[in-house]
Amino acid sequence: MSLSENSRFGIFRTATFRLTLAFVAAIICGMVLQFVLLFVQMTHFEAERSSGILHREADVLVQETPERLEYQVRERATNDLRVVINWVGLFDGHYRHIAGDLKSWPEGLVVDGKVHRLTLSPTDDEPYEMRFLAVRVPGGRVLVLAHSLHLLSELRYMIRRGALLSVFPVVMFALLTGVVLSHRALARVKTMHEAIDRIMQGDVHERLPAARERDELERLAGSVNRMLDRLEHLMDEIRDVGNDIAHDLRTPLSRVRARLERATSSPHDADYLNSVIERATLDLDQCFSVITALLRIGEIENGRRRAGFAQVNLGDLVADIVDLYEPIAETNGLVLTNAIAQDPATSETMTTFGDRDLLVEVLANLFDNAMKFTPAGGRVTVSAVSTPGAIRLRVADTGIGIPEAEREAVLGRFYRSDKSRHVPGSGLGLSLVMAILRLHGVDLAIADGDGSPEMPGCAFEMVFQLSAVSEGA
Amino acid sequence: MTSDQSLSFAPPEVPAKARLLFVEDDDTLAREVVEELSARGFAVSHVSTGQAGLDAAISESYDLMVLDRMLPLLDGLSVIEKLRSQNVQSPVLVLSALSAVDDRVTGLKAGGDDYLTKPFAMDELVARIEALLRRPNDTRATTLRVGPLDMDLIDRTVMREGREIELLPREFRLLEYLMRRPNQVLTRTMLLEDVWNYRFIPQTNLVDVHIGKLRRKVDGPGETPLIHSIRGSGFMLRVAL
Repeated sequence: MSLSENSRFGIFRTATFRLTLAFVAAIICGMVLQFVLLFVQMTHFEAERSSGILHREADVLVQETPERLEYQVRERATNDLRVVINWVGLFDGHYRHIAGDLKSWPEGLVVDGKVHRLTLSPTDDEPYEMRFLAVRVPGGRVLVLAHSLHLLSELRYMIRRGALLSVFPVVMFALLTGVVLSHRALARVKTMHEAIDRIMQGDVHERLPAARERDELERLAGSVNRMLDRLEHLMDEIRDVGNDIAHDLRTPLSRVRARLERATSSPHDADYLNSVIERATLDLDQCFSVITALLRIGEIENGRRRAGFAQVNLGDLVADIVDLYEPIAETNGLVLTNAIAQDPATSETMTTFGDRDLLVEVLANLFDNAMKFTPAGGRVTVSAVSTPGAIRLRVADTGIGIPEAEREAVLGRFYRSDKSRHVPGSGLGLSLVMAILRLHGVDLAIADGDGSPEMPGCAFEMVFQLSAVSEGA
Repeated sequence: MTSDQSLSFAPPEVPAKARLLFVEDDDTLAREVVEELSARGFAVSHVSTGQAGLDAAISESYDLMVLDRMLPLLDGLSVIEKLRSQNVQSPVLVLSALSAVDDRVTGLKAGGDDYLTKPFAMDELVARIEALLRRPNDTRATTLRVGPLDMDLIDRTVMREGREIELLPREFRLLEYLMRRPNQVLTRTMLLEDVWNYRFIPQTNLVDVHIGKLRRKVDGPGETPLIHSIRGSGFMLRVAL
């Protein structure tokens, strides 16, 4: 995805802006709810208030004599009470008009001493609503008091205006904030996109801006950066290994090539040709051993296959391999000692869960190493220390040893100490050992061996988890 | 290895013209192997697919099959399973570019009799074919007698023409293996696999050292050497039968 495509998204397609829109919607809903509640409350309050006034007025007027009442009605209709009670009307028993500015009996009005809200539709005017109260007064007459709703509609108007006027700036302000924030977020994402584009174009050292990881975006960038560090490290390793493989294969192959070339360039007798072919085959075998070792390491590391896992007795395993290597140790002038107690009680406690063939390979490689790097007269010793639930197996020699600075490197692929350049080997023995031990969840540590200060020797220590005999799968 | 004459190995005891079926899809490799095996006295037929191999093995009887594990369409292991279900019991040697122990185990479980990882030395292949063609001597016998050697499997003693040879247990095991397969080339890998039951390639000349120790005990001064090194391939207990 290219950068130009990203910028087309615009701020309206950012998570921040969408969040802003959601908040704006929520704010509008909240305000609407608030005004509706306010309106309902005011309507109710106004209705109560006007009913109260109507009732109190009616109570006063009912007390009057019919003459005084008629006079009062006329007075109110023409004078100062219009504001409080807008209209008043006095009707006889047949709802015919006697006095007041309410000239005709409102349709639908019942004389029951309760306030009724009715719509009047005069022929010469717009329909309008009023609140009416009709009470019987002495003389068989009916008094009707009416109160208009103009105060309520004014309140309504005020609330509506207020709501609209306040919603608009609030929404605008929220939107503006959203736009600003989105713009900032977009700018940060854009710099990240640019960084990613540079990384994809091959600049593997580029990193995302993560600063001090103050927010979630920077924390994410920090995580991505750490992932990139790891990947870069792995890529370096792979490149190094690739170079090493190429180098290790190139040496024997160039020897083969030189020999074959010389053999074809001039006539030679059959013996010479045979020896050339033989040595070429040996060199090719050396190449194959490198390739085979690499493939095996790859299989063990990637496959994580544990199909061959079963209960393995380490004591028996060590005894078998010591037996296998004893003659060659003797031939090399070394003393190979198995210091693990050979009794049933000890042996019983040394069962672990693993792949016998692979563990054999570990020990064989360690012994091969010890033989290679220990001069005649030296000692190679296998010992074991039991701890609860685990056993520490130690293969130690009195050879040239591994300097502390090189100990980590020798476990990497193709590493050969300067001291051992002249010793043949694929350079992958310890890598294979590491791969197998990792498969078994065993740590390998390198320490000084059993030698003198000048010839410290080397010790490989492995901690195996012991398994209960019943453990399966 | 030093004192021995180098032998150009010709199998003396193989039943006349053993018939082999070789199933391999790499035609260049197949041609080389077929020529080499023919030169060593085998009658070899080559086919390049699993299906063709299956058809050939069912319609004709072969003494042994050499089968590549990775074949297009029908892989080697399926071929073996189908053959065994058709009751074809000739031994099968499985070739494979895979080396993992797991693959070896599945190869043998499927009914293969031996397993060899590519790339292999021609001598190794021939030695294994020989070993499969010649089943070892009767395993129930309690004594073995090969040339001047007498082995008592119960008392764990070995005599050579009246001279008792004192052997360590591991040397005894090795000699027993040799005596069960006289006049047969045994490669270092075969010895390591069968005598010690290990499947790794040692960086050192382990097997040679073991054979050397055994040889010093078996072939006394002035006696006719019995244990021979076959240059480039392995060892042989050679006796006149």
